[in-house]
Amino acid sequence: MIADYAEVIHDDRVHGSLYSDPEVFDHEMDRIFRRGWVFVGHESEVPQPGDWVTRLIGLEPVIMVRGTDRTVRVLSNRCAHRGTALCWREKGNSRVFQCNYHGWTFGLDGSLRGVPHKAGFERERAELGLDRPRAVELYRGFVFANISGDAGPLSDHLGAGGRELIDRLCDLSPTGNIRLDAGWIGHRIQSNWKMWPESDEDGYHVDFVHISMLRTTQSYYQDTIVGGEASNNSRAVDHGGGHSELDMRPGYKSQLSWLGVTREKVTEYCNAMVRRYGEARANRLLWEGPPHAFIFPNLFLAELNLARVEPLGVNLTVHYHTAVQFEGVDDQFNRRLLRQSEAALGPGSFIVADDAVTAERMQTAFAGAAVGRSSNGFGAAWIDLSRGQKRERVDEQGRRIGHVSDEVTNRAFWRRYRQMMRAK
Amino acid sequence: MSVDQPSPSAVIVADVTRREIEAFLYLEARLADESRYAEWEALVTDDMHYWVPKGAADYDPATRLSYINDNRARLATRIRQLRTGLRHAQTPPSPMRRIISNIEILEADDAAGRFVVASNFVLYEVAAQATNELRIWPGRVTHHLRRVEGRLRMSKKIVELVTSELPQPNMAFLL
Repeated sequence: MIADYAEVIHDDRVHGSLYSDPEVFDHEMDRIFRRGWVFVGHESEVPQPGDWVTRLIGLEPVIMVRGTDRTVRVLSNRCAHRGTALCWREKGNSRVFQCNYHGWTFGLDGSLRGVPHKAGFERERAELGLDRPRAVELYRGFVFANISGDAGPLSDHLGAGGRELIDRLCDLSPTGNIRLDAGWIGHRIQSNWKMWPESDEDGYHVDFVHISMLRTTQSYYQDTIVGGEASNNSRAVDHGGGHSELDMRPGYKSQLSWLGVTREKVTEYCNAMVRRYGEARANRLLWEGPPHAFIFPNLFLAELNLARVEPLGVNLTVHYHTAVQFEGVDDQFNRRLLRQSEAALGPGSFIVADDAVTAERMQTAFAGAAVGRSSNGFGAAWIDLSRGQKRERVDEQGRRIGHVSDEVTNRAFWRRYRQMMRAK
Repeated sequence: MSVDQPSPSAVIVADVTRREIEAFLYLEARLADESRYAEWEALVTDDMHYWVPKGAADYDPATRLSYINDNRARLATRIRQLRTGLRHAQTPPSPMRRIISNIEILEADDAAGRFVVASNFVLYEVAAQATNELRIWPGRVTHHLRRVEGRLRMSKKIVELVTSELPQPNMAFLL
């Protein structure tokens, strides 16, 4: 039992039982995933009326669906009658949702449309529509939901920092729009979900966890995130609200480094960018590339990929990823992004497979951490997040900034986490 | 797996050819099980495609994401990475054994030395890198085989996992 989460989450260290205590997980499902904003999906996943995908918000099963009025809605994937799941595939297209148990049908807007043998139905149909998150908002096609409805507007949750991060990704598309239609790959990891916002935004581990990748392939990571402060000047940024970034822009040696090509290889794309943004802005966008950032609590803007973190239990997480696809580019360009995605993320990838083992090794080490929570000696199981705390600075927009290898990003996550977990 | 298309029928080949194909499959399986990366790599052709699709292998892998979709160059990178000895996701290499059965030769051109062979498998893996759990990987493999300088080599290996629509644990070994 944790009386006050401030006791186990300090600015520079947190207690390992936060990864392994089932009670903490239950609190998170309520205080973070029910009462806060959570990324659900992208509207391009449901382009046509009736298109739907199934998702979890915390442990709550939901359907993200486009209605006949073209509005994207998020509905409970649980029949309002006796609770049967209405959709059990990953995605599909339906005119209505019909429960297989007693044949109740619901419209794409969640309203109850039909009840078989209606003479014995003694309620108003309006009382028994599908439950839904109280608040759903989109930002540049990214769909977020807040189940409880008391998290305030999405723009406050994202803040200027979160919005800028999403903008920087979408602005790399020559139409300003991205598509997420390449399919999601699920990576099942026996670790707590919080290892993922941590490791996805850890600029200190690449030399070690990914040493086999670094020795085998050439990539821009050599210039941007390897070797510590002696060899690069990339930055770790706390954008506020728990959103954080490994800002590799200072390390890029040329335009399009982040794509691993020169301009001649993607002429059509570059021309389209110039047509949309003008030469000066296009040049800057093509130099800066996409962000490597995490939007609290579950969305990873993984450069040219997106990942979402799905907690399934205190010891079990799925890290889903897909490749970002741009509108207004040729197929060859988008296919390049697919191949890069397969190399970087997922269970067979050259990069994240090594993070997965590392997370599982952490989880193993925290199995008994709750027992030692009140002790100070052996078994106390604190983790240290102090790296670079003294050398971080605050810029004019209030962002905390350190060297990319500093734990600025991890502290950003935990600061927001502590704030939400302390709310009773 | 689509049931809209008729399922292919096996073809009959000379007994000695069938023995040759089976011997190749068993050798390939054993080298993969024992993480003998260089010996395994010697079994592939220069145009090798190693594909672990998400769902059935009924889509063009160029157009959608797969778990693994290696051309020859990327497969070489995969094996180089494993051979660094620093690939944490396979340090130590998983102890593995797989059973191969239901071998069907779907296409055969003995004169040209080209065969398409399907088989079922169950692979048992101990995830020895962290959790030490026993992982069971059932599925179906399609091999495209070609005789090169008198010996069979594979130019394609497609691994359709029974669980392939579900999230997968690490598959950093050779499936």
